[in-house]
Parts: sequence; C-alpha cells; structure tokens
Amino acid sequence: MTPLDPQPATGEPQAPGPAEPASLGLQVQVEQAAPMPLSGAFACAAGEMLALVGPSGAGKTSLLRLMAGLLRPRQGRVTVDGEVWVDTATGQWLPPQRRHVGLVFQHYALMPHLDACDNVALSLLHLPGPERQAQARHWLDHVGLDAAQQKRRPAALSGGQQQRVAMARALARQPRLLLLDEPFAAVDQMTRQGLYRLLADLRRELAIPIVLVTHDLHEARLLADRLVVLDQGRVLQQGTPAAIHRAPRNARVADLVGLQNRFEGRWLGPAEPQGTGRLQWTGPQLAQRPAAAHAAPQQDPVLLVPDKRRLEPGQAVNWVIPGEAIELVEPARRQAGDLDGVVSQVRHLGEITLCTVDLTGPPWARLTLTLAGARPALLGTLDALSPSVGPDALHPVAVRLDTRLVHVMPVRSA
Amino acid sequence: MDWQAVRLSVELALVTWLVLLPAGLALGRWLATTRFAGKAAVEALVVLPLVLPPTVLGYYLLVGLGAASPVGAWLATHFGVQLSFSFTGLVVASVVFNIPFMVQPIQRAFEAIPRDLAEAAAVSGLSFWQTLWRVELPLAWPGLLSATVLTFVHTLGEFGVVLMMGGNIPGETRTVAIAIYDRVQAFDLAGADRMALLLAVASLVAVAASFFASARLTVRR
Repeated sequence: MTPLDPQPATGEPQAPGPAEPASLGLQVQVEQAAPMPLSGAFACAAGEMLALVGPSGAGKTSLLRLMAGLLRPRQGRVTVDGEVWVDTATGQWLPPQRRHVGLVFQHYALMPHLDACDNVALSLLHLPGPERQAQARHWLDHVGLDAAQQKRRPAALSGGQQQRVAMARALARQPRLLLLDEPFAAVDQMTRQGLYRLLADLRRELAIPIVLVTHDLHEARLLADRLVVLDQGRVLQQGTPAAIHRAPRNARVADLVGLQNRFEGRWLGPAEPQGTGRLQWTGPQLAQRPAAAHAAPQQDPVLLVPDKRRLEPGQAVNWVIPGEAIELVEPARRQAGDLDGVVSQVRHLGEITLCTVDLTGPPWARLTLTLAGARPALLGTLDALSPSVGPDALHPVAVRLDTRLVHVMPVRSA
Repeated sequence: MDWQAVRLSVELALVTWLVLLPAGLALGRWLATTRFAGKAAVEALVVLPLVLPPTVLGYYLLVGLGAASPVGAWLATHFGVQLSFSFTGLVVASVVFNIPFMVQPIQRAFEAIPRDLAEAAAVSGLSFWQTLWRVELPLAWPGLLSATVLTFVHTLGEFGVVLMMGGNIPGETRTVAIAIYDRVQAFDLAGADRMALLLAVASLVAVAASFFASARLTVRR
C-alpha cells in the first residue's frame, strides 16, 4: 500500500494511529452520528481529482464544508500535506480564513455588489490595493474573461461567466486544496464543455488535490481519477470509476453508480476450472412471472462466473453484469448456453440507443442495454429489426452473456 | 413657531438614532443570522413597543424608572440622574419606543443576504469585521437607511410616551408634538398649524427620500 492509497472505507471507526504514513495531499476521516451522520475516510493526492458522488442528502456537501472549515466535525481529522486542519482528538482547529482552500460554491456565491474584478480581489486583501487589482485581473484573464466582462457585476454575467469568476476567486487564494460543489449543475452543455477544458488545464498546472461534488455520474466518470460513493453520510466504496463499475461492493453501490443490469441469484459453490463458481440466476417469484412460465416450469439457469472465495454455498447474492458483456444475436445463430429473449423496447436517443430485452424463459428477467453508436454488429441487427417490426414490437433474439465479467456481491441485511 | 421645541425634537431624534443604530445593528444581525430556542420571544419583545398604546408604555416607563421606583432611586443616589421629567428620561423612553423601527428593517435586510456569501467571504480569508464591512453592510445598506429614517421621523412625532415620561417643560421636554398640543389647548390654532405642517412635510420628504434612495441602492442579484 502506498501512502496515497485510501484507507479502508466505512464501518469500523478508525483512530488515526502513530503508524499513519507520512501524509501528502488531502486526508479526511470523520465519524459522527449528529447533527448529521457522516462516516468514512478518504484521501486525495496532489494533482488528483476525486469525485464525491451519491444521491441528494448523501452528505457530499457536508463533507466539502467539513474540508473547507465551514463545518466542525464531532469526531474527525482533516490534514493537507501533513498540516492538521482539524483534529478533534487533539482539539486542533484551523478556521476557514487560514486554510487556503479554494471553494467554488454551487450557486457561485459571488458578491452581487462588486464587479467581477473586485470579487476576485476580495480574496487578496492581504496584498496592497494596486497589486490586488493586478492579480485579480491576471486570474480573470486566466479563466478567460475579457476586460469588459471583468468590469461587470455578477447579475450582468452569464452562468458560465459567473462560474469562471468563482473559479478565479478560488484560485487567487493560491489554494492548497480546491473544492468544487456541483460546479457545472447550472450551466448549459456547451458552456460545460468549455469549463471541463478549463478544469483539465488548471488541474495540470496546479498540482493540488481537487475534490469535486457531483450527482452526475457521467460527469464524475469523465473528470475524476477516483470516486467516493456516499449514501446517507457513509462512504460506501471508493476507487477508480472503472473498478467501481466492474466490482461494486454491494447492491446499493451498484444502484448508486447507475448499473442497470443487477440481478438476484444464489451461490452454488466453486466449480471447475479453478477460480470459477456456479451462480444460479433466480428471477422474480413464480407468481410474478408471465403465464408461459407456469405452463412449463423450468430450472433457473446456472452461470459459470469468477469466484473470489468470499461466498458460502447456498448464500443469496446480488450480481451485476456490464452492458458490454451482453450480446444480442439473431436466433438463427443461437448457441448452447445462450438465453432466449425478445427485444421489447428500442429507443433511439441521438448517439445512443436504449434497448430492453425480456427473457422468454427462466429466470424471466429484463436486461437493459445502452448501446453507443460504436456497436455496429448489434446496431446492425437492431436497425434491421426496427423498421420491419416497429419500435415496440417484440422481436426474438438470443442473449449471449460473457459471464467472465459477472460480479457477485453478498446480500447484506441492511 | 416654537423653535425651541423644534430644536429639542431634532436633538432627541439625533441622540435616539445614535444610541439605537449600533444596538439595532447588533440585535438585528443577531436575530437574522442565529437560530436559538426562545427566538420568537425575543422577536415579540422587539415588536412590543409597536403594538402597545404609547400611553401604556410611557406609564410603565414612568412607574419603572421614575424617582419613586427602585431603579430611579438607585440612579438618583449613585449617578445623580433623574429620568422622569428630564431630557435624559426622554431619550431612554424614545430609545425603547423606537426599538422595532430600528431593529426590524435591519433584521429583514440581513435576512435577505444569502448565507453562502458570508461563507464565501470566510473561505476567501475575510475576518468577521471585514465580512461585515465589505460584504454585509453594503448589501444591508437600504435596510439601514430605512431604519434610520423611520426612527428619526417617528421620534419627531411621538407624543404619548413623551408626555407621560417628560411632561411639558419648555427647553427640557417640550417637543414639537407636545408644543402643537399645547398651542391647541391655548386656542392658538395658527401656531399649531405651522408646526403641524412642518412636521407633516418633514416626515413626507424623509420617507419619500428613503424610498427613492433605497430603490437606487438595492443591488440587483
């Protein structure tokens, strides 16, 4: 484990002991039940971008406020480059004024009575007047505001321009930690692309930890090196976006990161070859299955999936399979092990196509596929289907699963 | 025209304003930014002088602070201050009477400032006083102006409390409003006329000017 590896997430309260490695970048650890529950630990290295993701009320903004010093934890510790910003164990506390943190507020929090330049200059009060103005102009130039815009008050600027002023104000502090609270929520898509570019440039030149709060998973995956998944104030899982999508810790994480194909099953135990196990895909209760299921009850299918040796035979499990591991083939090309289904919905949304497939045999489950334009084989099939059969007509397909990509999670009694 | 009474009224209004402005600023900002148990009770106390009949308020002030009361006796023996039928007593009464006029506009003005502005200021390195001076006061300024005008105009015109607490002593406690009453009692309607007109015009001009300035000063968000 390198010093920058995140500490194990959630659950057990962890006291930072003397054995803690020399801490670079940001280290956060918090454990409190009131006034709002917050629990977990995470780290963010210099130059790294960490995204806090989760539903509203998950505690994302509270954690940001904790780092900025606007919220004092009941029990917790925040360090940046080894300097203690707060440590409830030793009673250390650095007020927000002395933290040198750049915080971009969700609604920017620009001073309405000051023009853009004075807004930025406000965070440079330690400098003499003329120097302050020069620095403020420098930062506004840097984020791409022209001289005329710099003289305007926030009300006369567009959302994207206000966002840039907020960014310039945060940067002018020469922060040691940059915090972004839903920074792109209120700007349109075109403006957003420009801001993404700005953020990418800044990130390269700043080399400080950057923490981004967002509920937009697409954005989080696009921008962040690592994700911290939060729910009800708890850190559920952290890791690279790819790792979390490949192997969510539990069903809740799978739902929170938007994995669509999550199913239930029963773990049957290890199998040959070594490292694999048998997973029975259990669908809905018989009563909820279509009439055809009652006519000819069959066994739920058993899949051969990777085994990480964490599960007991007979244990109820949740499992996910990524969209890229699901292939639809013409019924004529059906092979042994393929499942029968019908395409029940096809929705074309610009460059992506949403497609649902209902299995016509056990376990009678529904699969959801988001197909990018770059899936010619599959799209070819669908395009061939749609005109002849109409958008919602049921068209039979064979479903082929790459079960090597299945990820199995124990069901936890929450 | 009783110029002595006019001068006394203006002096009373000025002193009242000087005493109440810092107190009202502190109280109004505190009520706007803090939540605590019993806040509703404090707010009710602040508004009370607005709804009490002035004679009732004046009566309690006279009974509570007059020479015969324990507080009045204590003030007289230790400081040689007599509150009833004196200018000092008038100031005390006027300050109490004007609390809602000063505090409420200030409280509303501070309440209208988005909370994240003060937090943004703190993160930007501004101390409490810097935030107050550079962020909060410029934004709360129309509220301060309106509190000032209301207090001033209200003090010029107050009658019941002044009469109860101060009586009608020329040069000491006879304000314009009392002088008008005095002239009417003496059947000098012409004298009452002039002073009433002065008071009416002054009040109208002050309130109109504050509305105008407040509309110009309010920052667009």
